[in-house]
Amino acid sequence: MLNLIKTTTAASVMALAAGAAFAQDYPSKPIEVIVGYSAGGGTDVMARTAAPFIEKYLGDGASLVVKNMPGASGQIGVTEAATADPDGYTLGTFNLPGMMARTIDREADYDRDSFTYLANVVNDPNVIVTTKGGGLDTIDKLVEEAKANPGAVTVGMSSLGGDDHFMLIKLQELTGAEFTIVPFKGSAPARTALMGGHVAMGILNISEVAEFQEELNVLGVATEERSDFAPDLPTFEEQGYDLINGSMRGFIAPAGLPEDVEAKLLDAFAQLETDEEFLEAMKATANPVEVVTGEEFKELTSDLYDLAKGVWEETPWN
Amino acid sequence: MSHRLSRPETLTALGIVAVAAGFLVPAMSLRPISALLPIAMLVGLIVLAVILLLMDQRKAAAGEPAQQMTKSPGRVAGAFALIVVYALATDFIGFYVSTVVAVPLTAFLFGFRHPLGLALATAIVVGAIWLIFDFGMSQDFPAGRLWAA
Amino acid sequence: MYSDLLHALPEVMGLSNFAAVIIGVIAGIVVGAMPGLSATMAISVLVPFTFGLEPLVALGLMAGIYNGAMYGGAIPAVLLRIPGTPAAVATTFDGYPMARKGEGGFALQVAVVSSAIGGIASAFALMLLAPPLSKVTLLFGPSEVFWVAVFGLASIIFLLGGNPVKGLISACFGVFVSVIGADPIYGTDRFTFGQLEMLDGINIVILLVGLYALPPVIDLLETPLKTDSVESSKLGTEPIWKAMPRMKGFWKTWLRSSVFGIWIGILPGAGGSMAAFMSYNEARRTSKNPEKWGEGEPEGVAASETANNADTASALIPALTLGIPGTAVAAVMLGGLLVHGLQPGPMLFRENPDVVFGFMWQFLFGAILLILLGGSLATNSFARLLNLPRPLLGSVIIVLMLIGVYSIHGRMFDVYLMLGFGAVGWVMDKLKFPLPPVVLGLILGGFAEENLRLALRIGRGDWGVLFQNTTSLVLVALTVAVVVGPIIKRRVIDRRKEAEG
Repeated sequence: MLNLIKTTTAASVMALAAGAAFAQDYPSKPIEVIVGYSAGGGTDVMARTAAPFIEKYLGDGASLVVKNMPGASGQIGVTEAATADPDGYTLGTFNLPGMMARTIDREADYDRDSFTYLANVVNDPNVIVTTKGGGLDTIDKLVEEAKANPGAVTVGMSSLGGDDHFMLIKLQELTGAEFTIVPFKGSAPARTALMGGHVAMGILNISEVAEFQEELNVLGVATEERSDFAPDLPTFEEQGYDLINGSMRGFIAPAGLPEDVEAKLLDAFAQLETDEEFLEAMKATANPVEVVTGEEFKELTSDLYDLAKGVWEETPWN
Repeated sequence: MSHRLSRPETLTALGIVAVAAGFLVPAMSLRPISALLPIAMLVGLIVLAVILLLMDQRKAAAGEPAQQMTKSPGRVAGAFALIVVYALATDFIGFYVSTVVAVPLTAFLFGFRHPLGLALATAIVVGAIWLIFDFGMSQDFPAGRLWAA
Repeated sequence: MYSDLLHALPEVMGLSNFAAVIIGVIAGIVVGAMPGLSATMAISVLVPFTFGLEPLVALGLMAGIYNGAMYGGAIPAVLLRIPGTPAAVATTFDGYPMARKGEGGFALQVAVVSSAIGGIASAFALMLLAPPLSKVTLLFGPSEVFWVAVFGLASIIFLLGGNPVKGLISACFGVFVSVIGADPIYGTDRFTFGQLEMLDGINIVILLVGLYALPPVIDLLETPLKTDSVESSKLGTEPIWKAMPRMKGFWKTWLRSSVFGIWIGILPGAGGSMAAFMSYNEARRTSKNPEKWGEGEPEGVAASETANNADTASALIPALTLGIPGTAVAAVMLGGLLVHGLQPGPMLFRENPDVVFGFMWQFLFGAILLILLGGSLATNSFARLLNLPRPLLGSVIIVLMLIGVYSIHGRMFDVYLMLGFGAVGWVMDKLKFPLPPVVLGLILGGFAEENLRLALRIGRGDWGVLFQNTTSLVLVALTVAVVVGPIIKRRVIDRRKEAEG
C-alpha cells in the first residue's frame, strides 16, 4: 500500500516535472499567428501591434510571426487556425460576431468548440450616426421618424450578418421601428454615402467615426459606460435605450492545447490589459481595447452565437 | 459532315453554349435579383455563340478554309503541359526545387541548349527571387505539400 | 494648408526619405515591366515589411512603386503585347504596332514622358485640390456610380474589334466572371462551387495574367528559335531630348488625359484601366485621323499612359479624406497608411500634416524622377533583357507569372485559376476574340451591379431612383452621346458625300 502510494507520487511528480519542462521549453520555435485579412487591415494591425508584447510576456526570446491568409471575410484564415496542430505554435485572430455568424449562414469547417479561447483584445462598439442637416439629430427623433414612416429611413452599414446588422436588429426589436437596410461593402463606403446624403442613417463602429465627428451626427454609443476612445459621446443607456453591441477582435488557438501551454499563453495575453505602452500603441491605430481572457471569452462567443442563431431563425438574412 | 463540325470556331461556339448552359443550372436556384445579371450574360453568350456558329457554318458551306489554330500542335500541347506540371510541382514539391529544374528544362526542350547560358539564367532568376522575396521581404513561397504532412 | 505643404518639404528632402522614393521608382518600373508582377502585388508584399520603417520612408517607397509600376507596365505592353499591369492594356493598342514598325524605342519614350506628365498633374491635384475634390466624390452615391460604370461599359463598343459578335462574346464573358463570388447584397454564393477562395470574386490580376501573358508565352515556345519579331536593333532608340520635339503636338492629349485620369481616380472603385481605356477612346474620337489608331499611332500610347499615371495620386484623394480608395493599388496603400497610425479622414490633414503633405511631395518627386530613371534605365536595359533567347524568355516569364499570382493572396488556388484563364485566353487569341472587352467587363460589370442594387435598395425597389438627380441625368446624357454620337456623325458625313456625289 505504502509502495503503491510511493509509486503514484513518484509518477505524478515525474509527470509534473515533464509538464513543467514542456511549459518551460515553450516556445522553443517561432509561433505563427494566422490573420484572416490582408496586411494593413484592422485585424492585421491588431495582431502586429500585439505581437511584440506577447513575445515580451512569454519571455525566453519567444517570437511571433504574423501570416496573412486573406479571403472570404476571414473564414479561410480562421478555418486554417481551427484545424492546425494544437501544440501552441499556431494561433489565429478571431472576429466576433462574424466568425460565429459564418457558421450559421454558410458551411463552415469549424464551430464554437473548435477553439481554445485565449483573449479578446479589441471591442469596437457600434454607433448610430445620421447626416448633418437631415434633422434626425437625436435617437428619439430617429425612432419617431422610423415608426411614423416604416421603412422610409435608409440605413447604410457594412454587410449583412455582421455586428452592424445585429445592432440594427436589436434596435428594431427594442423600439418596434422599421428601417431599410442598405449593405455596402465595408464601413468606409457606407460612411461616404452617409456624408453625401445618399442614405439617412448609418450604423458604424466608434473607431470609424472618431475622425468624422464634425461631418456627421453621432447619436450614441452602444456601450455600458462611455468609451475612453471618445469620452464626450453619450451612450444609448444614458438616453434610455438598452443597446449594447460591438465588433470584437481577439486571439484563439486550436482546441486541445496542452494545459500548461494554454496557461502560459493566457497569462501572457492577460498582461496586455495593464501594459501602458501597448494601450498607447492600440489607441494610435484606432483600436479600442477591452481584454477578456479564457473562459469569459468563450462565454462571450457562445452568447453571440446564440444571438446570431436566434436572429437567423426569425429573419434569415440570405 | 464531321469535317464541317470540327472547325475551330464551330467547336468553340458549341463549347460556349455547353458551358453557359451548364452555368444556368446553379443560376436558377438564386433569388431573382441575384440571378438577373448572370442569367442575362449566360443567355447573351448562348445567343451570340449560336450566331457565331451559323456564321462559321455559312463560311464552311461557301468553302472558305477554317481558321488555323496552330502550326505545331505538339509544341503548344507540350508547353501547356510543362506549365501545368510546373505549377503542380511547386504546390507539392516546393517552389525553389521546381523552379531550379523548370527554368533550364523548359528553355532546353524548346531549343535553347547553351549549357553556360542555362546555368547562368537559372542562377540569376532563382537567386534574384530568393534575395528579393525571401531574404528581403520574408515572403514565403510554397514549400511543398508532400513534405508538410 | 499651403503653408503646411511647404513646411513638410525639408523633411522629404532628407536623405533616407528621398532615397526611398528613388528606390521605389526603380523597383516600380522593374515590377511593372515584369509580365505577371503587378503594382498591387508589390505593395501588398511590402506593407507588412513597412511596420519597422519610418513613415516617410515606407510611404516614399509606396509612392515610388506606384508611379514606377504604372509606367513600367508599358514596357512589355509595347515590346511583347503583354500589359505589365492591368492599366497598361490600352497601351498595347498602338504601342505594340509601333514596336512592330521599328518604333518601339519612340513608343517607350512617349510612354515615359506621358506617364510623368500624368503623374505630375495628378500629384498637383492631390496637393492643391484634395479637399474640394473630395466634395465631388460625395456627390456620387450608388445611383450615380452606377451610371459611371454604365458609361464605362458603353465604351466597350469601341473595343469590339473587327467582328462584333466575337467582341460581344468577350464582353459577356468578362461581365459573367465579375459576378462570380459572394452576392454583393446578400453574401450568398454565386458560382463558387463551395470554394472559399472564390468568395471574394476573381482578382483582375489573375485574369489579366492568364489572358494576356500565357498566350504570348506559348507563342514564344511554339515558334522555333531565331525568328524574333521585335529585335533591339530595330527598336529605334534615340536620346530622349531628340525624341521630345516629335511629341510637341501631344499637349492636347496630355491635358485631356490628365483630366480624365484625375476624374476617374477620385471616383471610388473604377481605377487605372478604366481611365486609360476612356481617355484612349476620347483621344481617338477627337483625332483628325481616327482610322490610323490601332496601327501604331504614338498619340494612342500618350493617351493611355498619361491617364493611367494621372489617377495614381488622385486615387488617394478619396482614400485619404474619406477612407475609400479610388483604385486597387490605393486600397492596398491605405493599409500601409493604417499601419503607421494614419487614419483616413478630414482630421488626418490636421493631425499629421508633415507625413501627409510629405507623402504628397513624394508623389510629385516620384513622377518627376520617372523621366530621369525611366528614360535611360528602361528603354535601354529592359529592351535588351526582353531580347533574351525566346525559350529562355518564355520560361522566365512563366516563373514570374507564378510568383506574381501566388503572392496576391499567398495561395496556389489562384495560380491554377490563372492557368485556366490562360487556356481560355489562348483559344481567344488564336480565334481573334478581342481581349479588352473581357478586362473592362470584369472591372465594371460587378461594380455596376453592386451599385445598381444598392441604389434600388435605397429607392426601396423603385427604378425611378436612378433618374432622380442632376448628376445621374448628366451621366445618362453623356453615355447616350458617346454611343449615338459617332453613328450620327457617320450618317451626316455619308449624307454629305451622297449630296456631293
